[in-house]
Amino acid sequence: MIDINALISTIMNNQVNIPLLQPLLDPLLGMPVIGYIIALILWKPFFVLILIPGFATMGIMLLILPWIERKMVGRMQWRVGPREISPHTRGIIQLLADSLRFLFQEVIIHKDAHKLYFLQFPFLYFIPVLLPLLFINAGTAGNPLVPIQTDYALQIMVALISLMPVFILGVGWASNNRFSFIGTVREAFLYFAYEIPFIVVILAMIVLYGTSNTVGVIDKQSGVWWGIIQNPLAALTFFIATVMATARLPFEIPEADQEVSFGPFVEYSGIAFGLAYVMGYEKMYVLSAIMTMLFLGGGSGPVIPGLGDLSYGIWFVIKTLIVLVVMANLRGVYPRYRLDQGLRIGWGAMLILALIALGWSIVVMGVRL
Amino acid sequence: MKKVATPEYDIKDKLKHHVSALSTAAKEVVMPLNVTTQYPRERRKMPDCFRGYILFDPERCISCFQCSFVCPANAIWMKEAPSGRYYPTLDYGKCIFCHFCVDTCPGGALKQTKIHDVAYKDMDEMFTLTEEMIEPPEIIREDEGYVDYVIDKEDLSLKRTKGIDKLIVDVAPSQGVPLVSLCVEPENCLGCGICEGMCESGAVSSLKEDGMVRMKIDVDKCTGCGLCVKECPMQILRLFRE
Amino acid sequence: MEYKNANIRFLESGLLSPFKKWAAKWSLWPCHFITSCCGVELAHAFACGYDGERLGTLNMGISRQSNYIIIEGTITRKMARALQFVWGQMPDPKFVNVIGACGERGGIFWNSYNITHPSDIVPIDFFIPGCPVTPEALLRGVRATQDKIIGKDRKTIEFKKVELPFEKRLKERMVPTSPKLFAPTPAIKVDVKSEVDWGKELENKLKKELDGLYKSITITGKNSIAIRTAQENLMEVARKLRDQMKMDHVKSVNVIEVPHERKFIVEYVVSSYSVEELMPVLVTVFTEMGVKDAKIQSLTSLWESANYSEREMHEFFGVLFDGNEGMGKKFILAPDTPDLPLRKEFKLPDERYVFEKSVTPEFMVPIEPPKDLYIPISEEFVEDAYASDEIVVPIGPHHAGSGHLRVTFRIKGDIIVDAIPEPGFVHRSMEKLAETKLYVQNIPLFERLAINDPVNMNLGYVRTIEKALGIEVPERAQYLRTIMAELSRIEAFYYDAAIFSLFFGHTTGFMYSMAIREMIIEALMRMTGSRSGPSFLVPGGIRRDIPDDVLGLTDNITFAIHKRMKKFEDIFVNNPVTIARAKGVGVLTKEDAIRCGMVGPFLRASGVNYDIRKIAPYEVYDKLDWEVTTGDDGDCLGRFLGRLEEIKQSVRIVKQAVDAVKGIKGAVLSEDVLGEYKEASSDIKGNFFRVFGNLVLPKGEWTTITEAGRGTLLFSIISDGESNVPYRVRVMTPCWMNLRGFMEALKGARYADFWAVYGSFGYFPPEADR
Repeated sequence: MIDINALISTIMNNQVNIPLLQPLLDPLLGMPVIGYIIALILWKPFFVLILIPGFATMGIMLLILPWIERKMVGRMQWRVGPREISPHTRGIIQLLADSLRFLFQEVIIHKDAHKLYFLQFPFLYFIPVLLPLLFINAGTAGNPLVPIQTDYALQIMVALISLMPVFILGVGWASNNRFSFIGTVREAFLYFAYEIPFIVVILAMIVLYGTSNTVGVIDKQSGVWWGIIQNPLAALTFFIATVMATARLPFEIPEADQEVSFGPFVEYSGIAFGLAYVMGYEKMYVLSAIMTMLFLGGGSGPVIPGLGDLSYGIWFVIKTLIVLVVMANLRGVYPRYRLDQGLRIGWGAMLILALIALGWSIVVMGVRL
Repeated sequence: MKKVATPEYDIKDKLKHHVSALSTAAKEVVMPLNVTTQYPRERRKMPDCFRGYILFDPERCISCFQCSFVCPANAIWMKEAPSGRYYPTLDYGKCIFCHFCVDTCPGGALKQTKIHDVAYKDMDEMFTLTEEMIEPPEIIREDEGYVDYVIDKEDLSLKRTKGIDKLIVDVAPSQGVPLVSLCVEPENCLGCGICEGMCESGAVSSLKEDGMVRMKIDVDKCTGCGLCVKECPMQILRLFRE
Repeated sequence: MEYKNANIRFLESGLLSPFKKWAAKWSLWPCHFITSCCGVELAHAFACGYDGERLGTLNMGISRQSNYIIIEGTITRKMARALQFVWGQMPDPKFVNVIGACGERGGIFWNSYNITHPSDIVPIDFFIPGCPVTPEALLRGVRATQDKIIGKDRKTIEFKKVELPFEKRLKERMVPTSPKLFAPTPAIKVDVKSEVDWGKELENKLKKELDGLYKSITITGKNSIAIRTAQENLMEVARKLRDQMKMDHVKSVNVIEVPHERKFIVEYVVSSYSVEELMPVLVTVFTEMGVKDAKIQSLTSLWESANYSEREMHEFFGVLFDGNEGMGKKFILAPDTPDLPLRKEFKLPDERYVFEKSVTPEFMVPIEPPKDLYIPISEEFVEDAYASDEIVVPIGPHHAGSGHLRVTFRIKGDIIVDAIPEPGFVHRSMEKLAETKLYVQNIPLFERLAINDPVNMNLGYVRTIEKALGIEVPERAQYLRTIMAELSRIEAFYYDAAIFSLFFGHTTGFMYSMAIREMIIEALMRMTGSRSGPSFLVPGGIRRDIPDDVLGLTDNITFAIHKRMKKFEDIFVNNPVTIARAKGVGVLTKEDAIRCGMVGPFLRASGVNYDIRKIAPYEVYDKLDWEVTTGDDGDCLGRFLGRLEEIKQSVRIVKQAVDAVKGIKGAVLSEDVLGEYKEASSDIKGNFFRVFGNLVLPKGEWTTITEAGRGTLLFSIISDGESNVPYRVRVMTPCWMNLRGFMEALKGARYADFWAVYGSFGYFPPEADR
């Protein structure tokens, strides 16, 4: 039997504080049903998960990020990028048209595919991609904005992120196509190459912060002492691992368009491919959010007057967006590595960097103690 | 002889070139050297000699078939007009826009335009009859300005001008060397009458003289199309300058 | 057609119809299915010059994710299968546009034996005329498709009908006959003696070496010598030539059929890369044999470079080259192509000059859509590969990184064990078509060998005619031709550089190259009036003089180009990732390069100092100051950097030539060819057919070699001395010659290296397949 009153008081005691909106919200909170809904939305964990930096922000990001990418890369390439769809807003709704088109297009399941898995995996893929959002702290020191507080947050995140490639493997296997096979094998190889430096780097940060609770992580980055300043090597390695994990150039090896034509996703069409296409960006978003949290001080930044807790969230999103844009723009700068070169970087340079970062963390901790 | 050796990068070079690639990209994001012609809203200005759709002026046509003969894609077929003259028709489903025909036309009846952006729904529509080649066709224009490529010693830049670019160019129709056909060895004439049948302007006429057929060429009427010369089985006709 | 309506029906059904239409309109993703040379202009339409992405069209790798096919020109019988397959794999609703005349009524290839009409195979929404189309026309097609999707039906062109002037009908008019003259029983002689003062020494040396093996040795012109030998001695002569004379590669394998004498003439044109004096010399070894059971010893064991050409000739003529492993197999042609198409008894439809009743000519019989996806890989091959723990991966012709070529790999782990090429997807049968066209009509035809290197292709053909007729080209025209040829070389390089960077996933490199190309195209367009199909060179000069302001613009380009080249180098060429991908990959040693008969920059990158512009200079290359570029590495990076350096030399040449030509005034067309039409010496307008319509080449075989953008371009015209159409034309394009070495360089490379090697060779399938 749930104690309703206890639940309500839990919710009411942990509300997001937005001074600017308060006069508007107060009368609404007084109303019978709407009040409860508003209260629930403003309940910090829920607010963070659903609005900022959770699903809603992610959704907007997914619609905007490919546009930003296409526009910026276009600029870099002396051209314009999507435009004519809405000339006055510079074609910002381009991705809406693309996703609607995918939605209405025929989904082909070819006769060699394993039908059940073929359709199932793109949807299952959502789980490991979305769940890390539960542990992301978008707040600042002393003012956490996190859905679930646990001492094992970072470990759980690493575990979930490690799950992602499993679903890609499933997708590739179910497609039963030569190119998806090669792409999948590439993904599997690359997975090990980046996963170990990735884990070592997170370990380095856990050592450095002395905690794996995301609240503690942010608390340890007060002032200008962001993770990137405390341990720049770790930040660099984490960034490269993120690029590898999201298969962006120069590590677009598993999905290489010219070589294996989108590798695991070669047989997907219509909305199934739309999901896969969007999934890459989701993965980028989640990993960038983790990077912001671990290295860029989370939501810390000058408080925007009147926004209260929301201002942390906004800073968090801005930092994440910067990481995303940098990552996306690598497409305009680099060609892609070959598989063996990618592996060499993963097992060689990155692993060494990661170990140095770990050593650095241990030394810093030793000095501090 | 110049030898090119492939570079060997050490870690310092690698860093240097990573930085130079990233900074080039960053510079372009801030100040792009954009070269895009945004087509439906603006057009690239083509030079006057641009080889596009072809117009036809029946007044200048001497019906010499040469455009049809020279067409490498065999896109030009001559069609008989109600007057009995043969005029060219053009199949844009075959035309390769080499403009050999324009350069061939001795009367200057074929004229180039700068029209080139056309899409057809049906292949049969691509066959353009003589009647349709006389007046400039109307195409969908969504352009509000045109773009000129300006290349100076520094760089390529685009000069944008508001207004509608004229697609019909005013090039004076050129005249080939005016020629007339004459018979050089009348004594070898068979009197077969092929030249008379070929002649479109009625310059060649035959008259019967004591059981023999004699051909006569009226120099004033002759357009110099050269068909009689080409078809003469005895090869006794020649083209001469007027 | 039925299917078109199905698409629209789908879009118009349901409550969500407006959304469906809107989304489909702004999200037409063309699938990456390049079918022929119009792909060059497609690349321009989606590169920075026009940027098709503005309209929401984004080129997508594979059919499953796209909804739009832009068919770029010729669909050959082989490609028709791929087209049908790709279209079938595409999810509904889908749209198809055809660009280029060859995809409509066939364009210049209308009577080819190997092309089909796409409209017979898939339902087409829009046809866009042009050859090649301009990017603007292509985007007009996209706009038209968008309008069609939302139901805005309008015509893109509206003709006004004007009544023709009606004069009194004079009389019944006869219709002229074809201007083409065919000799009924032509006398074919490939070793017509020439009176040049050259080669006595070589002749004597050959006579000594080949004592008793030859029937006759004739000097047929400067730098060319013909050896007639008996069928059974051919092998021995070849061995002597290779071992004693150091003739180390075959430039061309040619078969000439003389049906009324019931004989074949089989000739090998060989030359040397190892002896400097022999470099420009072309030695033709030929033998004659009866048509029935024509069989000859293959020379592949001596010269690996003859391999693919022998297979090609076997397919075209049915001559059996005993000892070549490709005998009896299809190589270039599709299974439903007529057998032995280059034999004279196989006739192509005749041209027609008069309109009769219908606009759809009777030769446009619908070709039965193919039923199978033809992959000439045997079951045993696949079984064998699996048994030895390898996988078989066929790539192309529909693949984001294959172009119009299929290569079947055997891969062990990540290493390529074997690569089997399958060219012929763009085989438009140029050699056969050339036999049906006037000499002058073949100028645009051969230009379409490589639409991204058009002037050099023109130059090669035109020079052959000039050689045969002994025409001296005026100096001004020579300079202008050199300028245009070098611009064309730069153009070809930047196309290949664009593809090279795209194969590495580096779209910025692609865009930057295309921007530089756009500059060159601007210059060529102002000179000739056409973006990439100038057809501007004619025997004896050029069609018209080039005004000074255009030359000034060309001069400016030689300065301005450096800024953008620098950016391209910074972001792509010197990029550490590019270096890592290309360095030490696909190495061809000097020995391998010579053995496989490589040509052009790819031969030089392996360390052979061979550039036709230096060893046998033509036009004004000997008057200008420039250097040949060579390298020792022979890897992908070496080849690429070598070409990059080479075009810097080209810029140098253009700069000097432009400076020089400003001081030279005068005619641009030779009086030798103009004859009595001397007024046309600076503009041929009005007299084109009168001057060139009746060219007849003297009897004999006329062979020239030209340095095109990608290497040696060999044209060999056999004339009977009476017809005004060639009896036979043999074209050996650089890409075709490089194919053997390309496959050689792949062995032992990694799977992903295929694209590095492909890009570094600048392999352009339309050029190779002809």
